[in-house]
Amino acid sequence: MSQLELKSLSKAFGSFDVLKNLDLAAAAGEIVVVFGGSGTGKTILLRLIAGVEEPTSGSIMLEGRDVADIPPEHRNVGMAFQNFALFPHMSAKDNIAAPLVARRFSADNVKRGVDRVAKLLKIDHVLGHAPRELSNGQKQRTSLARALAAEPKILLLDDPLRNVDAKLRFEMRLELPRLLRQTGATVLYVTQDYKEAMALADRIAVLQGGKFVQLAPPVEIYERPQNLQVARLFGDPVINTIDTTVKTNGKGPTLAIAGTSFSIAPSFAGYSGRRVTAGIRPEAIAIKPSKDGTGAEVQAVTPFNERIVVLLKDRDGWEFLVSLPSSETPPKPGVTVTASIAPDSIHLFDPETGERLHG
Amino acid sequence: MAELVLTSLSKIYRSRGKEPVHAVKDLTLTVKTGEIVALLGSSGCGKTSTLRMIAGFEDVSSGAISLGGRVIHELAPSARNVAMAFEAYSLYPPLTIGDNMAFALKSTKMLHAEVMAKVKAMADMLDIAGILEKYPSSVSGGQQQRASLGRALVRKADLYLLDEPMGQLEPQLRALLRGRIKHYLRENNCTSILVTHDQTEANALADRIAVMEAGELLQYASPAELKNKPANLFTGAFIGEPPMNVFTAEIFASEKSISFKIEGGNELAFKVSDFSESLLQMLASRRTISLGVRPHSLRVGKGPIKGIVSSCQWLGDQTHVAVDVGGRTIVSVSHARVDEKTGAAIALDVAASDLHIFDPATGAALAHGGQPA
Repeated sequence: MSQLELKSLSKAFGSFDVLKNLDLAAAAGEIVVVFGGSGTGKTILLRLIAGVEEPTSGSIMLEGRDVADIPPEHRNVGMAFQNFALFPHMSAKDNIAAPLVARRFSADNVKRGVDRVAKLLKIDHVLGHAPRELSNGQKQRTSLARALAAEPKILLLDDPLRNVDAKLRFEMRLELPRLLRQTGATVLYVTQDYKEAMALADRIAVLQGGKFVQLAPPVEIYERPQNLQVARLFGDPVINTIDTTVKTNGKGPTLAIAGTSFSIAPSFAGYSGRRVTAGIRPEAIAIKPSKDGTGAEVQAVTPFNERIVVLLKDRDGWEFLVSLPSSETPPKPGVTVTASIAPDSIHLFDPETGERLHG
Repeated sequence: MAELVLTSLSKIYRSRGKEPVHAVKDLTLTVKTGEIVALLGSSGCGKTSTLRMIAGFEDVSSGAISLGGRVIHELAPSARNVAMAFEAYSLYPPLTIGDNMAFALKSTKMLHAEVMAKVKAMADMLDIAGILEKYPSSVSGGQQQRASLGRALVRKADLYLLDEPMGQLEPQLRALLRGRIKHYLRENNCTSILVTHDQTEANALADRIAVMEAGELLQYASPAELKNKPANLFTGAFIGEPPMNVFTAEIFASEKSISFKIEGGNELAFKVSDFSESLLQMLASRRTISLGVRPHSLRVGKGPIKGIVSSCQWLGDQTHVAVDVGGRTIVSVSHARVDEKTGAAIALDVAASDLHIFDPATGAALAHGGQPA
């Protein structure tokens, strides 16, 4: 049985449809990341599930029960927010205890519950502090602890790492999966950071135009993006794209890219003659010095963490990025190189709709 | 284009009733003609005060600034021939993006058509050609930042000062624009100083990076040298993403081997021949050191470092494996896709050539890759 199920869930404000017919079934303990840009309705979705907003149509099932008539406080849902939303006049301890007190737990059980999550989140030493005395990282942990305190079956996390610094965000990203697993809750995690989404998710639900355009494990989202927009949102540097035409030679279908003919997967043979947008990830391209002067010119070499990003420009003025492991020797600006691409690393999209073309 | 020389530059902010703040301390450095230099540090390190002194928005407390052989620190900002892009954009609200970018060119005697052509080319490079007729208030923060950058770069100047020039850029554009801007600065032989708190930005763009902390210059070197030979633990941990793993290690030496006992009782043993004679002598007089290992140098598989996988995250072009070793988390990064189960036992290895050794008390580098620092 799914712990959390959305059936044709829609929400409109006046004539504006924010969410359209969302379907999702998430198992106990599963982490589903809802990924999308600002204004795509991610937070609205969490508010519908929490019960602070009512759907226009469709239903929400929690632990197999339709919760339409169940008020927020009885839905067994924990929620944490990007701005932490701690009660400023209460200590960290009282903030964490709030959901337990609201449910009229005994003093002993409140204390036990608070101690348990405080230990889990390593904030037992600051429980007596007021929110203003906490660092951003401690506020964020307190806010998570409050969400976890009542041992909810459903955990809704609204971009919880957005307002902490890069170092802490990285550390929390490494730590969160284990922490969330320990709770056993089904997690709906909202973020705009693709790395966070890939790192944390069992499945990612990409929200665009009010719909889940793709709902799949991170590997599939990255390697088989449903449309060009999804392809562009996952990956840094961003995927290279070029409009071109599928041709066929004796060996199979090919694409002309940067003055060179590249083989593509044989299953694309049926697309011969068709205009397509080709997408090639920067790390899928290998380069070597050109022997005959054809190819693309190195514009700039920009080290990027442990990779080297090379900006290239071909004779038609098409610019593309290549990302090499830093163990490779980077080319010098001004030299001409030829590129090679593995056939199965070339993605094809419809140039009009942006939808993935399946070979 | 011209060489910039900062000589014993200091900045002290004094205000009545308060302790003076020594924002920049005795800073001496040279930016060669056509060189791209990044001033890198966290907030309060003195990088922006330095930039503002060079631009002429702050007085120099002591020391000197010369540009192309001219002493400029007593000149008015407008007499210095320095172009600046501001972190807060500082675009003129009543002017269009195009007019903002053309502003400095219009005060020269350049023909209108030439001004427009230059602005258009710059706007093309920065992907803002479509918004030249718009006003700053009606475009996004990222677009305003690109316009501000364009306004600085479009004019000829002896020196370009870029204050956090890419902080607000749209993530999908960042890598491309880094490449284009670096190409432009090189082609036009622009002497440039970039101020940033983001080591990724500094590494991508700069020929040399000046790492600053509390008003002092900690190290001034190329990105590769900063990564391979950090002068101290601060620089070592600051440069690199994810950051360097740092262990506290006890040294045990025998005739044939030298080993470092780290957290969790793990012992890393190396052949004596992996270390230079002078380094071995230096280590003989010490009992503990700080041992730095970059995440990319920690190889998953066999090895003496034993731990438990706390997470394994594939990000498309790399995998981050977090490992609990004796109660603390260390990180290994691989370019390949690695699939390690959370909670599983794991072993890690590191080569002697990838070790960074620091003095645990002062943080000063003692050795890199088996050679004295």
